[in-house]
Amino acid sequence: MKKMSTKLGLVLLVSLFAVKSLWAQVTVLGWPGGPEETALRKAVEVYNAGPGKSDGSVNLIFFNRDGFWDKLQADLAAGTTEFDINLTATYAVGRYAPFMQPLSLPSAAMDVFGDKVLKTMQFEGEQYGVPTDLSLHFMYYRNDLIDKLLSDADWQKIYGEISQKYLGKTLAPKNPDTWNWEDYAATALFFTKSVNSASPTRYGTVLQMKNLLFNMMIWHSTARSHGGEWLDANGNVMVDSWAFRQGLQLYKTLFDAGASPKDSTSYEYAEANAAFGSGQAATMLQWNAAFGSLNNPEENPAVAGKIGTVAPPAGPAGRVTHIHGLGLGLNKNSKNKDAAIKFLNWLSGADAMETYALSGGSPAMAKSITDKISGDRPDLIKLGDFAGNYGFVMNGGTSASALQIYTLQAEQFTGYWSGTKSLDEALQATSKGMADLLK
Amino acid sequence: MQVSSKEKFWLTAPITFFLLVMLGFPLLLDLIYSVSEVTFENLLAPRLQGFENYFETLQDPTYWDALAFSLKFGLTASLVQLFLALFLAIYLEPLLARHPWLMAVLMAPMMVAPALIGLMYRLILHEFVGVIPYYLWEWVGDSPAFLGTENAFLTVVTIEILQWTPFALLILYTAYRSIPSHLREAARMDGANSLQLLMLVELPYMMPVILLTFFIRFIDSFRVFDNIYVLVGSGAGGTSTSLSIYIYKAFFRGGNIGQAVAASVLLFLAALLLIALLERFSRRMETT
Repeated sequence: MKKMSTKLGLVLLVSLFAVKSLWAQVTVLGWPGGPEETALRKAVEVYNAGPGKSDGSVNLIFFNRDGFWDKLQADLAAGTTEFDINLTATYAVGRYAPFMQPLSLPSAAMDVFGDKVLKTMQFEGEQYGVPTDLSLHFMYYRNDLIDKLLSDADWQKIYGEISQKYLGKTLAPKNPDTWNWEDYAATALFFTKSVNSASPTRYGTVLQMKNLLFNMMIWHSTARSHGGEWLDANGNVMVDSWAFRQGLQLYKTLFDAGASPKDSTSYEYAEANAAFGSGQAATMLQWNAAFGSLNNPEENPAVAGKIGTVAPPAGPAGRVTHIHGLGLGLNKNSKNKDAAIKFLNWLSGADAMETYALSGGSPAMAKSITDKISGDRPDLIKLGDFAGNYGFVMNGGTSASALQIYTLQAEQFTGYWSGTKSLDEALQATSKGMADLLK
Repeated sequence: MQVSSKEKFWLTAPITFFLLVMLGFPLLLDLIYSVSEVTFENLLAPRLQGFENYFETLQDPTYWDALAFSLKFGLTASLVQLFLALFLAIYLEPLLARHPWLMAVLMAPMMVAPALIGLMYRLILHEFVGVIPYYLWEWVGDSPAFLGTENAFLTVVTIEILQWTPFALLILYTAYRSIPSHLREAARMDGANSLQLLMLVELPYMMPVILLTFFIRFIDSFRVFDNIYVLVGSGAGGTSTSLSIYIYKAFFRGGNIGQAVAASVLLFLAALLLIALLERFSRRMETT
């Protein structure tokens, strides 16, 4: 009897392991602490209640945001099998590509996202992720202040005098949707207390000038709209150019004139939002994700309901905004590849993305899908429009060295803005550094 | 009771094994990486290439800038902490002797993680949400850019001093309290006034502890990372890049693993040299 029960126990144990391996559990490492996490949790909940029952359920894990990419890099390099699917991003896709497996997404994914958005997750022609969230930049401005500027003759007179003094030409105020960089600069100077004592705000704008790679992405719109590019068609570095000089000088002019807070060289996303949210800044070039929080009366009572957003100002080469995607891709060392691929294929479908968007995510989807949910997510229409009309990725912006290049530029360009380096020194050092990184 | 050499071996074996695994192995791996061409893609199979990483590190001007920053930061912070703590230890001694629980209150800053201290001051010093700039704007109509390039060094040094002076105070207060009372009595009987007592009796008696405190604080401040990185990163143009931040950036952001490890080995050798000097100095103090 004892022998019999031992045998039965063993059979039961083996069966349990067999069932577990058939019914694999996929582990996804997601982007923590923001709307992306909320949206992913909801999508996974829907998947586990439906296709996940037969294709393998999905489990979520999250790191802390601080140092996320560094920890991911170390884990992937160590050949981790702790997660099957991991986060990736446009600017990091080339760096993580050696540790990830390319995907063949269903053809329906092209209808959901379109070619331009799918490309934000591609490296050397291979698709490395499902683009779940798109980030780009808005020019935020105070509606109430701009309306008054456009209608008050006294303010317009002062505006003309200030633009003549600081920019060398007499400008008239314009609607922000038709701004070029000079209009933006003149408006920023006009709303700066130290330039215009009658200004209702302390600063005209908020520049994010901390030595941080993400701040370069925001600044790049200035250089690109002047025709700037990282590399030419032959792969030669071309940052030491008129376009880059114009963009860099614009920030320097505004910072030196006091149009941005004095410690802007330590500002990143949170600091800039705090400055604009205080009601003491008239404009700000910022990530699209900030809008919800800034326009929330409980979080930012001084500015909520008074915020307008448009695409960044135009330059001689047009109007542009940096775009990059966050997405989910397959860990090369995953032990559950089949189940993981099934989940990624499901995630790239219209229904999954609709669920994801309705739960707070920001996917850039085809207009037909966005229109269906525009009542709940009107901001996604603007996101899709801006990405399609103005979005750009620098040539080399998805390369294996992209993160290092952003970091190098941040170090050199913030040196110029803070006055520790000349413009020539900063651009020459950047060119040389980029050439070394791209060897 | 005499302990045999066999017993000594077995008694020390666990800690020796622990040190070999936890320190010896990483050190060996670091030494291999430092003479190898290694990236995240060939972590498990680095290619040996000699001392090129060391040459590259020593030829990198940003390495020397980072070293200079760390030295300046370490010396400034540790010296100010030392003098401030010494003053407080002597000045507050009567109060602390009557109310020893006050020492626990003074120790509070040490209990907070440096990264959290950085985050806290990032809020406190922000022009629009920080309490200090708020009152400065209210009272004088302006506020300095605490984290701007021109003030960043002063700000981060001040924060380091505020957090770690209590550590120096604890050691120096204990040393001050341990001065035998008969020494003071003898000096008083010989007619020494308070200043003479301090300069000729108390400070010389405390000198080994004072120097030890300085070295401990210098080493700790020299390898600063967390609070500076959270507050200002590596600074505009890299102006607040400490040696630890240099190594971190080279490793993770630059992917130059060999060079980052070579820089850390150089730092390790410098620390060994410093510790050897400290030990030699301590022995000399013991014999005199």
